[in-house]
Amino acid sequence: MNKDDDFVKEFVKHLFPRVVLRSNLRLTYTFCLGGLAFTAFLVLILTGAMLLFHYQPSTTGAFKSILYIENSVPGGWYIRNLHRLASNFFLILLFLHTLRVLLTGAYRKPRELNWCIGFVLLCLALFEGYTGYLLPMDQLALWATQTGMNLLGTLPFGDMLRSFLVPDDIGQPMSLIRFYVLHIALIPLSMLILCMLHFYQIRKQKGALPYL
Amino acid sequence: MSDYVKSSPHFFRIVKISFVALTIALLVLAFFITAPLQGPADISNVPNPSKSAWFLMWTQELVSYSNLMVYSILGLGLVFFFLPWLPISPTADRASWLGKDQKIVNIITIVSPNIA
Repeated sequence: MNKDDDFVKEFVKHLFPRVVLRSNLRLTYTFCLGGLAFTAFLVLILTGAMLLFHYQPSTTGAFKSILYIENSVPGGWYIRNLHRLASNFFLILLFLHTLRVLLTGAYRKPRELNWCIGFVLLCLALFEGYTGYLLPMDQLALWATQTGMNLLGTLPFGDMLRSFLVPDDIGQPMSLIRFYVLHIALIPLSMLILCMLHFYQIRKQKGALPYL
Repeated sequence: MSDYVKSSPHFFRIVKISFVALTIALLVLAFFITAPLQGPADISNVPNPSKSAWFLMWTQELVSYSNLMVYSILGLGLVFFFLPWLPISPTADRASWLGKDQKIVNIITIVSPNIA
């Protein structure tokens, strides 16, 4: 048990740099926004995994399974509330973190690669939020997704993207399963890998100023 | 090297506190803030107005003026993505809030969400 604890501790320690600039530990510099966003992401993974046990990704079963989670699963309503709340916090914290990085000039060389990773992470987070919107299959989900698809149609190559995401129609079996796979597997996995790269870059650029 | 301190405990202490504080805040707030759930999806029942997710609302608003406005969003996205390589953001030896050496970036960052 002790060895396992040590292993986890060491792993976490190795994700971060061994030393940091004292001046950058001021709360008013970073406001811990990146760390807070990652905390929200962890809560999302945990609550999302719990919801997976009861959710049915089918046109007839999705809404019913949400009602089941809300009314019959012990604490189901609370886990759903927590997942939704954490997703909102996650996006807000990511926006604020990006704003902080821009306004402190922390995106500049030599950390341009980390800026690009962060930028992609922000786009993926938005896409993750969007794909999650459809899953409850209620009126809000259907029409918010429909409006989002209309927005996508205005982009260059938007129609091509739309036909990949929605091969039948919004809320129909194929589109629901694609949104589901993207939401629970592809996007979160990509985000997790990029987060590790993001942390690794911070560690690697320990000597680079501006730090953090 | 005197400007540096060891991550453990100095940096990890802040990380731990922020982790615990946010987790507690989320756990408590989830009791009171209910996740919305409307009636089952019905393609024949169109709500008026039909709104996109809150985090895309600003793009919906912008595109409502003209579909071409989407190019302003894309353009701005590209500018931000390639910001480290643009001449408006010179290399810096220290980070500071609203640094004078990146005035244009500060203005774009503050103004662009307000226009949207």
